[in-house]
Amino acid sequence: MSLDTFIATRQPEWSELEAAINQARRGRLRSTSATQLERFGMLLRHASSDLAIARRDYPDAQVTEYLNSLCSRANPLLYRGSPMRISAVPEFFATGLPRAFRAAWPYILASCALLLLGFIGGWLAVVLRPDLRDSLVPHSLFDELARGGHPTVPDAPFAAAFIIQNNIRVALICFGFGVLWGIVPALVMLSNGWMLGTIAAAVHEGGYDVRFWALIVPHGVIELSIIVIAGGTGLMLGDAVLRPGLQRRGDALGAAARSAVALAVGAAMLLVIAGTMEAYVSPSGLPDAAKLAVGGTAAVLLYSWLLLAGRRRTVAPEHEPRSWTALSGLPGEVPT
Amino acid sequence: MLRVAGPSTPDTVRVQTAENVSIGFTTAGLGSRVVAQLIDNVIALPLAYIAAFAYSALAVSASSGQSVTIVAGGALFALFFVYFGYFLVCEVVMGGRTPGKAAMGLRVVRLDGSAPDFVALLIRNVVRVLDVALFAAGIGVVIMFFHPLSRRLGDIAASTIVVRERSRVTLATAAAAPPLITRAPDAGPAVEGIERLGSTEYNALRTFLTRAGLAPELRARLAADIAARMLERLAVAPSAPERFWPPELLLERLYLQLDQRLR
Repeated sequence: MSLDTFIATRQPEWSELEAAINQARRGRLRSTSATQLERFGMLLRHASSDLAIARRDYPDAQVTEYLNSLCSRANPLLYRGSPMRISAVPEFFATGLPRAFRAAWPYILASCALLLLGFIGGWLAVVLRPDLRDSLVPHSLFDELARGGHPTVPDAPFAAAFIIQNNIRVALICFGFGVLWGIVPALVMLSNGWMLGTIAAAVHEGGYDVRFWALIVPHGVIELSIIVIAGGTGLMLGDAVLRPGLQRRGDALGAAARSAVALAVGAAMLLVIAGTMEAYVSPSGLPDAAKLAVGGTAAVLLYSWLLLAGRRRTVAPEHEPRSWTALSGLPGEVPT
Repeated sequence: MLRVAGPSTPDTVRVQTAENVSIGFTTAGLGSRVVAQLIDNVIALPLAYIAAFAYSALAVSASSGQSVTIVAGGALFALFFVYFGYFLVCEVVMGGRTPGKAAMGLRVVRLDGSAPDFVALLIRNVVRVLDVALFAAGIGVVIMFFHPLSRRLGDIAASTIVVRERSRVTLATAAAAPPLITRAPDAGPAVEGIERLGSTEYNALRTFLTRAGLAPELRARLAADIAARMLERLAVAPSAPERFWPPELLLERLYLQLDQRLR
């Protein structure tokens, strides 16, 4: 077929596809009807086969480049991953997030170990070097508490907003920076542990343990758990880059990011709960015992959800004779 | 997963589509992506600052005893959230584009040429905090500079690439100009051995005949050269009349005869 005939006979469909692309761009195919959509698919298939023909017969002609660009614009409009549905959000929190948590346990454990290491280091630093206490313990309302003062706590709604934003940012940074060999999330875990360790040691020396833990525990259980989870997601990405196994580093990173992002974003959402508790329950006038009880209850709820929700039942498969139709895949009667 | 088919030149990636035809995507270079980012910054940064100021105003007016840290922290978060949220929301709503990318004719696609799903867009936009870590000249730009497909870390983590959608070829330019037939009024007598020629020769003749604006003497020299090769392929007898036609006439006749046969 000569080039002119090829273009002349196929051109109407290409123009139609081009018009459909432009229309779909504006309405993202959503407003198109089922028959139009079917037509779009057919046009793309035809254009693709025309591209294959053009590559073979007219490799240097402009029309080959045109068809390539036509197909490359049409392809992402027709082929796409499953869209996000709002209805999938409750299911994600009911089963998806706890499953992702359990699947990532080695990283979460590692992240937790780093936090503890930091905590122990911070505690020891304050105990062993009392002369450096002032530079070791960050100035905060807890420091004031350790010195026997009665700190004023900022207004709840804005304190909550501040706390939530700070933690969400830390969680997302842990994830994003995890790509760089997981160094940043590891440092974030160590430094958070260190800070907590120095404060705890200072408060312990001042003898205000119960008041301090009553201020920390109600929200801290959830908050620290979530920061640990976020650190774990960052370590997961770093590990994929450091030890990609048989995959290429980029592919390993892509796979790890896909399973870790749900955990990181889910954790960031949970920080809203933790931040609200930090602003409202922890500094409230409730008796210390009640605050500790709130923290304990939160811990039990959080971990029973993370560890138990969405477990698949492992039932022994019943030994049922397979029917003949199931084996052959044919709809019909069992032969006699 | 990556299914790269065939050789990829530095700025194109060939992917095998569901139709089993490989399509070449032109990847967006560092320059166009940085310009797209600057355009987006022009939109997103004012939005982010408005959000931050609105938050501060609200926080200050709602109560008098706010500590500066608390208000500033909240405002910083509004800035952070709106800025990064802008890219995510735009890419989700506009199918892998932002206003900046749309202006530059760029689009985010997955490595198999399909549109990215929500999770992929989420990943590439969370990792954006790392890619723009040192403001405009972040790690992302450095990685993009060295990456053969100009991907930033967010693209690698999300298995996406940014491609150029604009093509310099339109249907009008692709519908090639008709060849300039000036000497041969018709196809002329059938050339001996014409069946030895195929689409390769047809394309070569067509390319020569559609080429306008050649200086006459240059065109004549070129024609003589091509005609000699054609005669060699035709394997015409040394005394055949075709050998004595003017080269340009021979080429036009050959073209017309091939055109009739291949049509």
